[in-house]
Amino acid sequence: METVKSRNNLVVSYLTVGGVIIIAMMVFGVLMLLTQGGVIDLAPAAFYQFLTIHGTGMVGAAALAAAGVMAYFLSQYVQLSQKVMRVNLALFLTGVVMVIIGVFSFKYASAWTFLYPLPQLSANAWGTIGALLYLFGMLILGAGFLLFYLDSGRAIMKKYGSLAKGLGWDVIAGKKSEDDAPPKAVIASTMVTIVNVTALTAGSAVLIMNVINVINPAFTVDPLLAKNLTYAFGHIFANSIIYMAVIAVYEILPRYANRPWKANRVFLIAWTMSTVFTLLIYTHHLLMDSVMPTWTLILGQALSYANGLPVLVVTAYGALMVVYKSGIKWDMASSLLYLSMFGWVVGVVPAIVDATIVVNHVMHNTKWVPGHFHMYMALGACTMFFGFMYYLAKEDSDIKENAMNRIAFVAFALAIVSLSGSFLVSGALSTPRRWATHIPEWMGPAVFGAVAGVFAMLAVTVFVIHFIRYINKRRHNVHLEKTSHDEKPA
Amino acid sequence: MGKPMFGALLFGLLVIPPVRHLMESVMIVHMLVQIPLLILAGFLMAGFFRKSFQRFWFVWNENGVPGMLLVVIIVLYWLIPRTIDASLENWSMEWFKFISLPFLAGIPLGDSWGKIGTLTKSIIMFNLIPMLGLMAWLYIDAPVRVCNNYLEAEQKMLGWGFLMITAGCIIYMLQYAFTDRSDAVSE
Ligand code: HEM
Repeated sequence: METVKSRNNLVVSYLTVGGVIIIAMMVFGVLMLLTQGGVIDLAPAAFYQFLTIHGTGMVGAAALAAAGVMAYFLSQYVQLSQKVMRVNLALFLTGVVMVIIGVFSFKYASAWTFLYPLPQLSANAWGTIGALLYLFGMLILGAGFLLFYLDSGRAIMKKYGSLAKGLGWDVIAGKKSEDDAPPKAVIASTMVTIVNVTALTAGSAVLIMNVINVINPAFTVDPLLAKNLTYAFGHIFANSIIYMAVIAVYEILPRYANRPWKANRVFLIAWTMSTVFTLLIYTHHLLMDSVMPTWTLILGQALSYANGLPVLVVTAYGALMVVYKSGIKWDMASSLLYLSMFGWVVGVVPAIVDATIVVNHVMHNTKWVPGHFHMYMALGACTMFFGFMYYLAKEDSDIKENAMNRIAFVAFALAIVSLSGSFLVSGALSTPRRWATHIPEWMGPAVFGAVAGVFAMLAVTVFVIHFIRYINKRRHNVHLEKTSHDEKPA
Repeated sequence: MGKPMFGALLFGLLVIPPVRHLMESVMIVHMLVQIPLLILAGFLMAGFFRKSFQRFWFVWNENGVPGMLLVVIIVLYWLIPRTIDASLENWSMEWFKFISLPFLAGIPLGDSWGKIGTLTKSIIMFNLIPMLGLMAWLYIDAPVRVCNNYLEAEQKMLGWGFLMITAGCIIYMLQYAFTDRSDAVSE
């Protein structure tokens, strides 16, 4: 039997696993910056292993946690399969273990983008086994997520009829009134289902291509095809995280502000536009590949400008309107969710700048890029599910938020802004990204970023500890409920 | 004349030596016409076997998953270039092809497809799409001749054939997901 409690158990597991992995990955982030800053002396090979595990782990863990948020709210409207959620979690953990063994025991270090032909062509930095462990690990992880989205697609179609209706196209077309528009959680989940099923399908094809190439290097892949498939996977999948996590903003802020926030036609059009754009804009990763047809690059540039904007604008504007003069109560959940809007808005600005071809010629592959996505991912996406974690804790138990939490909130915001700022400064200094060793002129911002990273890590640790305390409390409460039930005469 | 009869007729037609030779003389027809038609023949005959051996199907294929697993394994086997090559050179392999595809893939498919839920079906489809796409790449881009019996040019043509089918599957799934299914979707 599916009960709210058992469903929440899975959601709680997704968030706990996600949160703990994020803390661990932050340690590697700090170690990388300390190496780049010349503070510690890490062998370059180890740096690249850390880079690989940090990128893979962060994207995977954030996606898992965000999927937890999506599942929590989506299943208030449609019937998701618990079995699928459990299988996804199991495959995720299996994949993670394989990736960890591949990276640390077999020195695999292609970065999380595993761009062909690097998995095979490592100049003996790693061997076949490491590459296969990593590639199959990613494949298993991807299979789990694919299962999850196929199930969400199935459930949405069962309730609403089709994915088109999940996006509210009948409302856009005027066949149904705005009052009958699907809930925002359903709209966002439909969008994510569409883009991620596409991404994961492309990803599994290119992963197997790499596997074949690793096993028998005589089988080569057209590098341009491989790059297209790889970024169609990586960019879309990483991008989808924020679109899952933002459901928390939609569902929680109106409850706090005690005001409705319904999907109207503009909202629906924005989400449909972002669905299409998200599928196409990965081409901005290929702006330097002059062999790409020019029109795809122009499309990549134009749509990259447009991509986040529709949803970002309706969300940020909507959030402002919901909160404005509402007398909203600011606690950890609402503060984090509000902060995430700031992180999202500020985080896309450097991205839009860099998606301009002429700027990209200068900034391509500098630390400007991590500057953008650390702001966007850490202060945008992650902050959303941290907010959700506080919300769930409050909803589901009588746990109190102490001063430590509020200090952590401020520390987190300042630390991530500083960290991302340090990356952006490095980028402006033309520091290349993904270089283990920096010349002295580049070291300052890296050391500064490392210090900021330590604070960010401590703050997230406070968030996760709060969440784990809630789990304990909840277990205790369930136990009490049970015993009081047992004691009652029949 | 019912479906099973059509299936039996189709099977009979495919077995006739001149038809068989004709189909197998062109790689793309061998892979993308003969093999699917053999499966189709079994699929059409499934009704007859389901009626005749009701208990067997109930005991062994209650939820359709074992049957689908068998289908996937048999189809995978016949996607390997080496097995196709062997079927042209080795009588027992040719026999096995003509038995396995209709009877171990087609018939179980006919029995299972109605039993498995929407989720399992979509898993199969979304496994098929990258797999067929991969086959397209493999045959178009292979650095060597993969079959002794066919030329490299034929191999390329087959690859493009796979790509067309992949595109077809994608278009099918798109129309499936974007048109109303409220009644058809199950667990
Ligand atoms: C304490 C916080 C963090 C620190 C100190 C940190 C540090 C770093 C460093 C030093 C790099 C490599 C930069 C370079 O290319 O030279 C990096 C890359 C990256 N980080 Fe972080 N990071 C942190 C948090 C996060 C978070 C929260 C996420 C996402 C949820 C994330 C995702 C990534 C990704 C995807 C890469 C790219 C890896 C690659 O280039 O292959 N990081 N990070």
